[in-house]
Amino acid sequence: MTFAWSYFSSPATFYRLAGALAPWWFATAVILGIAGLYMGFVVAPTDAQQGEVYRIIFIHVPASWMSMFIYFVMACYGGVSLTFNTRLAAMMARALAPTGAMFTFVALWTGAFWGRPTWGTYWVWDARITSELVLLFLYVGFIALANAFEDPRRGDRASALLALIGLVNLPIIYFSVLWWNTLHQGSTVKFSGTSMHVAMLWAMLLMALSFWAYAIGMALVRVRAIILERERRTHWVRALAT
Amino acid sequence: MDHTFYLAMSYAATAVALVVEIVALRLRRARALAAIEEERDLETQD
Repeated sequence: MTFAWSYFSSPATFYRLAGALAPWWFATAVILGIAGLYMGFVVAPTDAQQGEVYRIIFIHVPASWMSMFIYFVMACYGGVSLTFNTRLAAMMARALAPTGAMFTFVALWTGAFWGRPTWGTYWVWDARITSELVLLFLYVGFIALANAFEDPRRGDRASALLALIGLVNLPIIYFSVLWWNTLHQGSTVKFSGTSMHVAMLWAMLLMALSFWAYAIGMALVRVRAIILERERRTHWVRALAT
Repeated sequence: MDHTFYLAMSYAATAVALVVEIVALRLRRARALAAIEEERDLETQD
């Protein structure tokens, strides 16, 4: 077990493993995405109150879930990197941040374009939306801090610490609709069940799984680029670039 | 009421965000490989 752990945490080994796995994750993302869009636009019925505009839910909710989930995983990698001083964990944290930021942006953008026809405004300083905006700032801060040092290991430590501190924002985002009186609606999908039409629910879940597979594929490809940047003076990387 | 604009802007922006991320990553990888080759060429000259 210890052997496997140290074997796969070697950048040289993980570089090849990530290269082999990434295409499968992208293929999964495409298949699930097509299935999700088919369910969302062909099978799922028109909403009785909101009409067609509710179909923004099929990207807004999965993007919001991914924005929080990726941050959590990124902070875990940061914690592992700080605790065990592992290079690969720090690289994975860096690799996840841009995709997490992209999903946070998509969640905010699609939320604005859903809010305008349903609430009458693109933006309101409501607890859920504001805490999601704070999440975007945390991602941007993480990326900026990680790249602010000449020595990348110092950047790894500083950004990992920021990621761990920022974890406090996740329960604030999730429970904001319960803790405060917000314009944003409460959770539609709960562990106890949902009131959504089954086709709508399936479309949303398929899109969430598609985004999840995409995020893994992107993280694997990005960590390969980071390994190339950081290990460029090693013999095995130089041999790759021939 | 026709809400096509809001629906289209949401999906189009998501598609653009995905494409931008993929292109940026491809450029980053190309830059990393170019930097490796450049360093190797400099060493060969030395």
